[in-house]
Amino acid sequence: MTSQIYSQKKFIPTAPDKGSFPLDHDSLCKNQFLLYVSCIRRNESDSAKCRQQAQDYLSCRMDNNLMDRTEWSRLGFRKDTANL
Amino acid sequence: MLSRFANVCGQCAHLIRRTLPQRQLLQQSTARVRTKSTFGGHRPDPGAEAARKLRLRSTLYYVTAGGIFIVGLSYAAVPLYTIFCQAYSYGGTTSEGHDSEKVEHMVKVNDRILKIRFNADIGSSMRWNFKPQQYELKVAPGETALAFYTAKNPTDKPVIGISTYNVIPFEAGAYFNKIQCFCFEEQQLNPHEEVDMPVFFYIDPEYVKDPALEFCDTITLSYTFFEAKEGLKLNFPSYAKPHVA
Repeated sequence: MTSQIYSQKKFIPTAPDKGSFPLDHDSLCKNQFLLYVSCIRRNESDSAKCRQQAQDYLSCRMDNNLMDRTEWSRLGFRKDTANL
Repeated sequence: MLSRFANVCGQCAHLIRRTLPQRQLLQQSTARVRTKSTFGGHRPDPGAEAARKLRLRSTLYYVTAGGIFIVGLSYAAVPLYTIFCQAYSYGGTTSEGHDSEKVEHMVKVNDRILKIRFNADIGSSMRWNFKPQQYELKVAPGETALAFYTAKNPTDKPVIGISTYNVIPFEAGAYFNKIQCFCFEEQQLNPHEEVDMPVFFYIDPEYVKDPALEFCDTITLSYTFFEAKEGLKLNFPSYAKPHVA
């Protein structure tokens, strides 16, 4: 609200590129979620080290119809930059 | 003598006319005409009068047409502005479809690591428990990252929530791109249900080229959940979709 009082620049939220994730009501991807979160905690929140687990989670979502199937390159998972 | 007096005082002429005989009246009327001519006035001829009327009417038509044009332009400005803003990305509106190709070709910037902090809030009447699964995440610009929030509905009734987000600092918000998230769409949680909500995003590699953000390495992403009620007005873009039960 203060931004309106002092005429500061207003933050305008933008649409996500692929829209909204449907909710995982049945916890179908809970395993992959737990693996990813524990990897993050082990590696001191370094997201570069847990890209494989992130990819696993997203592929679980795609398999269970919770996400539109897209090529990995469009999601930023390219083979040449994959972590070893 | 009286006729000369009438020359000077034209207003009194009608008074004197009644008292004067015919001959003197004739003298007076010619004198009046002469008076007018000595002042440089002359009886206007019908041609100039008509031309003047025509010019006046044309001017009136032009001015009316100009007024209608301005009013019409102000009505047409609304869709024209929308088209212009979408084409040139003014004021936060982005052009369609240019971001998906960017993800494919963007290059990770290795020498700069940004810390993204996650914050979760709920509206005052919202009864969910909403928290982030990780307090912060270290990402490099140009690399996609996944983050999680968890929401639990501890009540005995299904609750529909809708969320919005904010990025601080303001200048960094322009480089924060979400590929997929859970915002702006109504989400229903059944009683005693807990769900994990992912946010898949990346920081634009142009971030490192912005001089205003040279010393800014921490970005805070803040999500707020509100209960979806009638008459709830949030700062939503127009694509916010209602819940499809």
